[in-house]
Amino acid sequence: MPTVTFLPSFRKTEVPKGSTILEAAQKAGFHMNVVCGGQGKCGKCSVMVRSGEIDFDREKYGDFYTDEEASQGFCLSCQTRINGDLRVLIPEGSLVQEQQILVDSPGVPLEINPAVWKYALTLSPPTLDDQSPDLTRLLWGIEKSGGPKEGSIYAPLEVIREIPKVLRESGWRITATVALVPGGYRMINVEKGDTTSHSYGAAVDLGTTTVVVYIRSLIDGSIVGTGSNYNRQISCGEDILSRVNYAKRGGLEKLQALAVESINAALTAASNSAGIDRDDVYEVVVAGNTIMTHILMGIDPAYMIEEPYVPVVRRYLTTAARRVGLVVGKNSGLFIFPAVSDFIGGDIIADILASGMAESNDISLLIDIGTNFEVVLGNRDWMFACAGAAGPALEGGEVLFGMRANPGAIEQVSLDLRTLKPSFRTIRNQRPRGLCGSGLIDLLAELLRSCIIDRTGRINTAIAHERIRQGRQVPEFVVAWKEETAIGKDIVITENDIKALIMSKASILAACQTLMNQAGIGREEIARIYFSGAFGNYINKDHAITIGLIPEIPVERVTTIGNGAIAGANIALLNRRKKRVIDEIARKIAYIELNADPTFMDEYTGSCFLPHTDLSLFPGVEKMLDQCRILREQS
Amino acid sequence: MGVSTLSEWTGRIGELVIGATAKDGGTRSHSVTIGGEEDLPYIGIPPSGHRPLVAYELSDDPELWPAAATRFIGDRVHDTAEWVAHADREYQPDLIRLYLSSTRERNFSDISRIGETVESVLQATELPLIIEGSNDPAIDSAVFQKIGEAAEGERILLGTAEAGHYRSVAAAAMAYGHSVIAQSPIDINLAKQLNILLRETGLSPDRIAIDPYTGALGYGFEYSYSVMERIRYSALKGDSDLAMPMISSAIDSLVVKEVREADEGDACPTAVAWEIYAMLPATIAGASIVCVRHPLSIEPLKTAIAALWNGEPKGGM
Repeated sequence: MPTVTFLPSFRKTEVPKGSTILEAAQKAGFHMNVVCGGQGKCGKCSVMVRSGEIDFDREKYGDFYTDEEASQGFCLSCQTRINGDLRVLIPEGSLVQEQQILVDSPGVPLEINPAVWKYALTLSPPTLDDQSPDLTRLLWGIEKSGGPKEGSIYAPLEVIREIPKVLRESGWRITATVALVPGGYRMINVEKGDTTSHSYGAAVDLGTTTVVVYIRSLIDGSIVGTGSNYNRQISCGEDILSRVNYAKRGGLEKLQALAVESINAALTAASNSAGIDRDDVYEVVVAGNTIMTHILMGIDPAYMIEEPYVPVVRRYLTTAARRVGLVVGKNSGLFIFPAVSDFIGGDIIADILASGMAESNDISLLIDIGTNFEVVLGNRDWMFACAGAAGPALEGGEVLFGMRANPGAIEQVSLDLRTLKPSFRTIRNQRPRGLCGSGLIDLLAELLRSCIIDRTGRINTAIAHERIRQGRQVPEFVVAWKEETAIGKDIVITENDIKALIMSKASILAACQTLMNQAGIGREEIARIYFSGAFGNYINKDHAITIGLIPEIPVERVTTIGNGAIAGANIALLNRRKKRVIDEIARKIAYIELNADPTFMDEYTGSCFLPHTDLSLFPGVEKMLDQCRILREQS
Repeated sequence: MGVSTLSEWTGRIGELVIGATAKDGGTRSHSVTIGGEEDLPYIGIPPSGHRPLVAYELSDDPELWPAAATRFIGDRVHDTAEWVAHADREYQPDLIRLYLSSTRERNFSDISRIGETVESVLQATELPLIIEGSNDPAIDSAVFQKIGEAAEGERILLGTAEAGHYRSVAAAAMAYGHSVIAQSPIDINLAKQLNILLRETGLSPDRIAIDPYTGALGYGFEYSYSVMERIRYSALKGDSDLAMPMISSAIDSLVVKEVREADEGDACPTAVAWEIYAMLPATIAGASIVCVRHPLSIEPLKTAIAALWNGEPKGGM
């Protein structure tokens, strides 16, 4: 089998000939960025092949690379087959940015209270004088070494069957693993010798596109390994709705199997990178959206996409991990985060847990932005949540030169208020190819500050400037001249793009305002705003406030929590007491159906303005814009 | 006996003056002031603010005007100035609202004719004027410049600014000392947004009249009514971006099916009724200027408004 050596770490792995570099990288424990699920569509998994024989169709994927990059050996790892020993450099941008995943809750000290204990025992062998049975002997041993009372531990048949052999072959030196499950204490494993140092748990974020796994030590809480993988269900449909439809056509079993396969692959990568045995993983905690967790458990999600939109289960679910097919310790438990509704799933509960807002007296607002968004408002006593569609504009969709956050995307823009000349930064400092979400938000804020657009997003064509011009249908602003770009075309933002962005941001702000109105909360009472999801990591918070994507509060109180789903799963894994908090959160949240709320449309129209029709909601922005207007009038 | 309300409003509607007399540099016989309300319409004796006014609408292009309106006037419609003079003399509206509909013709380019029409209308009547220009970005700037210039000093109310189309109207109004009608499609937020946009062009708030867009009776009027009410409530509650007087015109009244199909001769009582029964309630919702196109609607509307204003019930007592 060919050996692939990954640079700069020199990590090596062996894979069968014909495997993709992506597969090899994942096997070696790298978190590759694969937004499209390995279909060769997103370009995020690019690597540089330094030496060795490969198969890569340069023509087919020519759009992804300049000639210069091609000559450097850049290729899509998901589409490149391995023909022999290779040396491959993985650029940082092709790895899931781990530092941006905030694993532990900000402001809440990490407590290690796992639901799994290991007891190393030396038992006295039975004699004619002491004929107590093996199990009793074992349970007594646990009790004597500080564990739960003998009578309170349930031992399942599979474990009892192992006991006589393990006790005798080990010379009565064994390690028993006990877990606290909803029914009480349960002996989940008995093994030879002292293995107390090998006690691990896995936290899983089961996303619609990606699966992320963290393996943590249940003794000291340390992160021992991580792995990520695309959700293999992508082959059955890219978005969540098409997955449900696939399930409806009799594909539930396949989707379930693919979900399990995806988690298992990420678990393999994580345990390989940790150098541990997967049998030593004693608990798996999964956070995912409602449909994903339903599918993982093999529960039919079909009725969730039809009126009146009800899920099958709202409480948390526990079962044996092996029962759904996860390859971990034999009797290890599986804990699935509860959901509130079809649209507020365990991933959002995990966000809430990670933010710590459910344990605070202060009122916080949590916003998870993707194509769909979820908003939660509340504190330890009460919570409101809602969900809606923001449209694809904020992710670069439906925008003429919009693109995903791939190499060459303009991710930061500023405009000189006097000359209106833009300066920008692109991902990987390549020549610009388009604008991604964070760049679009920057641009919108800067166009407003420089009075190129008015508050409804209309470009003021009365300004005589070479970058402001009438496009084919509507006015547009030139961000980059074609000589500067990698695509041989001027990169512009059109009035229609701006309107699409305003509509997207308006739906999010309107959702925030609707919840605030329901709760009777003004923006002054919001102590914190948490952004979760990858999107929140990259956006300029000041600009998000300037355009009225979120309510105005002092910018230092806006926090990004990154992947809140994986963070929340980690917290619940390490501290069993948080499972009670989770359950309380799920019960506490009042779900507001925006479509049924008569004020939502009003809030939406009011929010289709930069930053909002009620200017008193954005006093800081108003002051800043006034200054900008004066500056513009002077020049 | 005074009527008092239970509400204690904090806001006041701004006043807007239309028309300038010789003293102010114009040629109108008088000017009119609208707005100034501190309470809901018709509340109190006398009510707060100024009495609602009735404007008579006509067009420089009778082809584009409803038959129910032109038939009654007869051949005079072909001479805009004569039409105006006749209406002023015979029906005594409070204001004349001239639509320069000819600018809506395809490839319109005769900007100088716009100036001539405006000048002839200014000659034909001494009433304060409302003038409506074009709605085409290609000619807007020239058209509004021309109207503004031709009516310089007359303090006209110039229409119509919309969110997609407001800069040239505002620019002409500011350059020549006129006021602006700000029209938005039956939505309180959009009405407010447009006022903010106009303010940011430098137009003073006391130069804006809100047109919330009015559906004809049976064709959406109740939405307009409710939006006018909401705008007024917000203004009286202190929202200065909505504290402008409102103008209402159910422009489709004379082309609704019921009016088109009523074969009643030139007087057309159905047409008149259709206008009156929308415009009187519009004043109750807060409109300061209501507009009609059938001349016979003017007098009964004025009488009804006066009766409501003076709080003197007549008949049946």
